Amino acid sequence: MKAFSGYHPLTLLIYFLSVLMTAMFLWNPVIQLEALLGAGLFAAMLQNGKETAGDILFYIPLFIMAALANPLFSHNGVTILFFMNGNPVTAEAFIYGIALAVTLIAVLLWCKCYSIIMSSDKFIYLFGRAIPKLSLVLSMALRFVPLFKRRFHKVRKAQRAMGMYSSKSYTDRLKGTLLTFSAVTSWSLENAMETSASMKARGYGLAGRSNFSIFRFAPHDFLLLAFNVLLMLGTLMGAAFGELEFYYYPQISGSSLSVPGLLAYVCFGVLTLLPFIIELKEKILWKYFISKI
Amino acid sequence: MEKMETKRAKKFNTVSFLVLCIAVPVIVIGGAWIFKDRQYAWITLCVAVLACVPFFLLFEKKEADGRVLVTVAVMCALSVAGRVLFAPVPGFKPVTAMVIITAMYFGSEAGFVTGAFSALVSNFYFGQGPWTPFQMFVWGLIGFVSGLCGSWLKKNRVFLTVFGIISGVVFSLVMDIWTVLWADGIFNVTRYAAAVISSVQFIIIYAVSNVVFLFFPGKQIGRMLERIKTKYMG
Amino acid sequence: MEILHIENLSFRYPKCESYAVKDINLNICAGEFVVLCGQSGCGKTTLLKLIKRELAPVGEKSGEIKYNGTDIKELYDRASASEIGYVMQNPDSQTVTDKVWHELAFGLENLGLPQEAIRRRVGETASWFGIQGWFRKDTDKLSGGQKQILNLASVVAMEPQLLILDEPTGQLDPIAAADFISTLLRLNRELGITVILAEHRLEEVFPVADRVLVMDGGKIILNGRPENIERGLLSLNENHPMLSGMPGAVRIYNMLQRRLPDIFNPSELKPRGECLLTVRQGRDFLEEHFKGEGQGDVKPERQEEPYAIEMKNVWFRYERDLPDILTGMELRISRGELFFLLGGNGSGKTTVLNVISGLNKPYRGRILIDGKSIKDYRGNALYRRKLAYLPQNPQTVFLKDSVRADFVELFKALEISRADYEPKIEKISEKLGIEGLLDRHPYDLSGGEQQKCALAKILLTEPEILLLDEPTKGMDAHSKLALKAVLKELKTEKMTVAVVSHDVEFAAENADRCALFFDGSVISSDVPEIFFAENSFYTTAANRMARRLWKNAVTCEQVVEKCIEEAGKRRKTVGEDGNKTCEKI
Repeated sequence: MKAFSGYHPLTLLIYFLSVLMTAMFLWNPVIQLEALLGAGLFAAMLQNGKETAGDILFYIPLFIMAALANPLFSHNGVTILFFMNGNPVTAEAFIYGIALAVTLIAVLLWCKCYSIIMSSDKFIYLFGRAIPKLSLVLSMALRFVPLFKRRFHKVRKAQRAMGMYSSKSYTDRLKGTLLTFSAVTSWSLENAMETSASMKARGYGLAGRSNFSIFRFAPHDFLLLAFNVLLMLGTLMGAAFGELEFYYYPQISGSSLSVPGLLAYVCFGVLTLLPFIIELKEKILWKYFISKI
Repeated sequence: MEKMETKRAKKFNTVSFLVLCIAVPVIVIGGAWIFKDRQYAWITLCVAVLACVPFFLLFEKKEADGRVLVTVAVMCALSVAGRVLFAPVPGFKPVTAMVIITAMYFGSEAGFVTGAFSALVSNFYFGQGPWTPFQMFVWGLIGFVSGLCGSWLKKNRVFLTVFGIISGVVFSLVMDIWTVLWADGIFNVTRYAAAVISSVQFIIIYAVSNVVFLFFPGKQIGRMLERIKTKYMG
Repeated sequence: MEILHIENLSFRYPKCESYAVKDINLNICAGEFVVLCGQSGCGKTTLLKLIKRELAPVGEKSGEIKYNGTDIKELYDRASASEIGYVMQNPDSQTVTDKVWHELAFGLENLGLPQEAIRRRVGETASWFGIQGWFRKDTDKLSGGQKQILNLASVVAMEPQLLILDEPTGQLDPIAAADFISTLLRLNRELGITVILAEHRLEEVFPVADRVLVMDGGKIILNGRPENIERGLLSLNENHPMLSGMPGAVRIYNMLQRRLPDIFNPSELKPRGECLLTVRQGRDFLEEHFKGEGQGDVKPERQEEPYAIEMKNVWFRYERDLPDILTGMELRISRGELFFLLGGNGSGKTTVLNVISGLNKPYRGRILIDGKSIKDYRGNALYRRKLAYLPQNPQTVFLKDSVRADFVELFKALEISRADYEPKIEKISEKLGIEGLLDRHPYDLSGGEQQKCALAKILLTEPEILLLDEPTKGMDAHSKLALKAVLKELKTEKMTVAVVSHDVEFAAENADRCALFFDGSVISSDVPEIFFAENSFYTTAANRMARRLWKNAVTCEQVVEKCIEEAGKRRKTVGEDGNKTCEKI
């Protein structure tokens, strides 16, 4: 179990929303770099070395592509480097491309961490109270997906063993796959009626349904939440005062460094590093425990 | 005791309603003020999320039979699992067709939920991201609209074909709008055009696959849904 | 105290001429363990669903069902939902949510219990059922047996007084089924929950039941203590199909009584104890009355025929990082042989069939079909009049709206014209008795009917080799007899049949040769008489009863034959020596 995922779903959701929204919408180079750094460290803690290496191999080309593509779409900026097809390629557009790539990858990485940490049951828990029927639908759908995948394989195998729809012809195979799809649909819909009978047998549809969850809001959740809110306030204050404003076009310019601005950078930096610190603390703690044992 | 429970639930509902009434505008407007150069992207995202809410509440409030819930869950799961089955052909996805079929037989609310949840569930497997609310809203809306014109779609094959193609194209076109809004802060036409052109082959495959699904397994699945409605729901 | 009282209950489905359930009168006392048996389609499910109000089918109903003295129509919604629990057959389709803990809480949420109460009840239930180890798992990751235990637990969490179970072990392997039954028994004995259990597999439940009900044609034809049921069946009909589904001890006793009336005087044949239900009782009875000479007959080895299926040092795993499923598997099946591969659930038996049929490719070793390497069958050549494979779920075979449409689709693929295939369809339907089912939707058929139609479709490819995966799963005694007849006929047609199964009794009755599959390869293989005699645990009930007398008698029929033989011999000696040896018997 990862340390960070042990927090209460609400705490986690608010954390991820704060970081993601800021990283996505507050276009300031320091903020963006902080977001990338935090996400990268966190992702590296959550994954093993092999996965991290795979990630790096995937994101570097993406980074280069996103950075280089921008000057093709955007001809703003005053510092013209050269002309291509009669269009100016500017230094500003180039730098903007890099900023765009940094943000893009930061957002993707944060989303990845979110997917690892916020498992479906946490998500369902969060919305179970407000939209009970829909959260039940979601829970059922998540239960059905792997079941149906297995059914697809079973039907395909059975058909192949009869020598059906496995010739070289592309249309024949496509037809087979489509037929398999509708057969599994029929099979599953038919079974679904049994599921709804089992729901009804256990009292589904009675008035005053309650909502159970195994999650408990613990003191450390409150602590993290409070910390999160404070840091977020610090960051947003800086932005609200206009101390984080930064322009790439027509010329790179930004507000000069001030106290609220610096405070915002520090706050957001700490916020993005929180999960990494929590994971690291846990690791060291366990090492220490083991050496004591 | 039961009464007290419902009373408490009601109170809870009113309080949360009031909180939402204040909190939502504050977040949206405050966000637009703070994220100055990205306010369009921010507002669109907020709109996509908020636009889903009334549809969800509509489904929530409706006296839904357990069987409708299970059927919707099955159709979502099928469209997600189907993506795996057809994975060898990129862009060939059953999602939109399944959403349209469900809506045709079970109405607009069920259609919206099937669409929105297909997106949500499939992103549990393929990765959540800022694209999730948009996918949810667009697929949901396709479901809602096809529920509204369900009887025409059932009767008229030409209409169904056109509808399948349009919904496939619309889905792809809408998804790119936000990417551009976010990347540039304003709507950059060149970037949008480039995004659309680079994905044009997928858009075509996607639109074609919609029609294929609507007609080929769609007919059988429609019969099946009809059968279930008559056999189990009287 | 009476918990359930049914009076003159009759029920008819809409648009049906005949009654599904007719004139039922039944009283069940609190704390009773009642077993309901009968062939598929006898109205068991309809009766059980009528008792559970939420599941009651729509139709014309007359008569009364009272629960604790109240008509079930007048019960409070909450009471009806929680106090009468219902568990169905299919482990997969009953589960609603994606997490084990959520599934346990589902019913309690519906009742509107507060968080703390649910937490306590769920925790308690999970501990009692031994679920704590997989409490946070996805429901999809559980084995079939675990799923069914979970389904039971999530019903029991609602604290029912009366538990109704409709063939809950139908889809489980014998070990998981025995587990399930023993859990059920604990619920009954320790918590005093009244149980009504519909079952085909009577070996385990007969000894523990307080009462057995037998249904036929919508009526309860017998209602009594388990030890009296077979006598009752016999008095109704000497050849009642239910008799073949009775536990081994009961069957042997009942056959002996019929076959040896002139030799034994009936009072002497009566078992010592009260009844003859378990293997131990059967063994005591046999050993008391018979001495046992010789080992029993062994079927002569079949003469050597060329191999139809040959596996040579086959290794297989699904993915690189996963463990091996087949570890140097060696297997030889001769032409025309009826071969059973036995083994526990999840041991990889199905994988063996997948590999033989070319669906999965081994990474090492060779497979020869009819002496030719499987790799040399190009395209679909293997599946054209050579080899056919019927998977465990018959649903997987059908893709169309009617059974006939599916047959036609197959012939299209085989490129056989309409004029040619019509008589073929007719012939096979007659052979398997499915003429009436051809125009039905495959999903409207019962499990047994689906199985027959699926087998028919497979046989239409006119294979020389037939592979069957768990063909007796969820089947009642009657359907097993029908399958036995089909297998017999296929044998006369010289078809090679390889069956994968955990149904030991069925294998003993039908196989030419049995093999035990364990840990990736075949560890023993022989004709059934020797195969089961050499096994100590993995053997038939009849063999466990009689093995100390006649080692090689493995089926009830064989045991009875040996008894008669010995009695015959004895009669001879009695005839020669006068009355001297009489007492010894």
